Amino acid sequence: MSTDIGLRVAVAVVEIAAVLGVVLLHVAYLTYLERKILGDMQDRMGPMEVGWHGWLQPIADGLKLFFKEDIVPSGANKIIFTLAPILVLVPALIGFAVVPFGAKTIQIGPLEFHPYITDINIGILYVLAVASLGAYGVLLGGWASNSKYSLLGGLRSAAQVISYELPLGLALVGPILLTQSLSMVKMGEAQAGGFWHWFSFSLPFPQIVALVVYLIAAVAETNRVPFDLPEAESELVAGFFTEYSGMRFAFFFLAEYANMIMVSCIATIAFLGAWQAPFPHLGFVPPIVWFVLKVYCFLFFYIWLRATLPRLRFDQLMKFGWKVLLPVALGNILITSILLYLSRL
Amino acid sequence: MDSRNLKKWINTVFFVEILKGLGLTFRHMFVKPITFQYPHVKRQLPDGYRGVIVHLRYDDGTEKCVGCALCEAACPSHCITVVSAEREDMPQKRYAKQYILDMTKCVFCGFCVQACPVDALASSKEYEMATWNKRELMMDKEFMLKLGDKYFPNRRARPKLYQDQLNFFTKMKQKNFPTAKGGVA
Repeated sequence: MSTDIGLRVAVAVVEIAAVLGVVLLHVAYLTYLERKILGDMQDRMGPMEVGWHGWLQPIADGLKLFFKEDIVPSGANKIIFTLAPILVLVPALIGFAVVPFGAKTIQIGPLEFHPYITDINIGILYVLAVASLGAYGVLLGGWASNSKYSLLGGLRSAAQVISYELPLGLALVGPILLTQSLSMVKMGEAQAGGFWHWFSFSLPFPQIVALVVYLIAAVAETNRVPFDLPEAESELVAGFFTEYSGMRFAFFFLAEYANMIMVSCIATIAFLGAWQAPFPHLGFVPPIVWFVLKVYCFLFFYIWLRATLPRLRFDQLMKFGWKVLLPVALGNILITSILLYLSRL
Repeated sequence: MDSRNLKKWINTVFFVEILKGLGLTFRHMFVKPITFQYPHVKRQLPDGYRGVIVHLRYDDGTEKCVGCALCEAACPSHCITVVSAEREDMPQKRYAKQYILDMTKCVFCGFCVQACPVDALASSKEYEMATWNKRELMMDKEFMLKLGDKYFPNRRARPKLYQDQLNFFTKMKQKNFPTAKGGVA
């Protein structure tokens, strides 16, 4: 009995380590990918110096941040100043515990390796709840820095994150209604078949509007352009993480990109059919390949938006979130539920 | 709703202008980069490019500079210092005993090159003079002559006119003609 529990714990630890390792590697190389793609879109080369075509750049950046001097501003609240980056990074990472990356469970002897760390039956609710904790870290970081730029940046960022969490959650209610479950594994399994079964294209009501609302809210949640006023380099120095340097800054940075990947994973699962192939006869390709491909589509879209759009002013941002996105998300829920009820009569 | 308002409404709801912008950036992904990587690839300099000022020689190896200090007068940054003296071997002919050009003050305008009556100065195409030791940037005549030998290998012939006058002056020296060195009266 105890060996059984011991084995299960060991399997869980291995899975957690694997997922965290892969996610952190992706986060690091997402920065490199972003710089290269931004460069290509701006008719220039991205990093080219470190390693062949610059692919060792994230490692150089990481080493640099690791060795930088750790400055705590005088007058700053030391405990909270240290706590804030942790409060931002940890919620971003623990959301990955419920994301299913593939379809098959690998069986090695008595050990079972699932494509997810755990399959709780409130998967999406857990992710949304944990993502909301990130707002604490931002607020505390801004306030604990004892600097007016940081404080303003932190307040703005917290207001933005809170305002856009509503359309984010409500946009996901459409796919939840279509799945009849909050579990992400069931959501992925419900979109089997071809791409016409994916929730963004499926009857009774294609969730394209919800997808657009979700994407916009997700860009605002992660403080990316065009909603990146809180960290606007030209206006607020660096917003709420002005006073941070070295590893603390690295944590904020990692948290932003980890949030991006998290939100892209949720979008893939809820709208684009998770690990399902677009055509049934392409099912021989391993499901995790489809999943990664779709996540990278969203990540490319994020970077594409950054290269294209100017920044929204803060009042324009708030107006858009409350007056446009929220009613549209609510309208989507209304129409989806009516059509779903009528189709099941 | 008239057609203009309708068009504006459609453009806003369907993000038409944003999509056009996205199309532009996507197209630009496939445009070749217009930047080049400097230390590995160097730029093609135009013909009139004004780099570091150098001293030139004649084809017999003698330096052209006569120490007239017109370049010092023309320089807008006052970075040239000329001390001229009479040549020992050819009296009544002068040279620059000391010629210092302070590159930290030089703006590379080329006025000195234009001012020189014997074309002793020229603008080379050298621009990579960054150094750890600022004193290396106070160029003296030997340094400038060396740079001139490197960048201007084709030397002009010494004008024959001077050769005739040279003979005159040598003859004068033999006849003990009074020179500035020896003093007049």
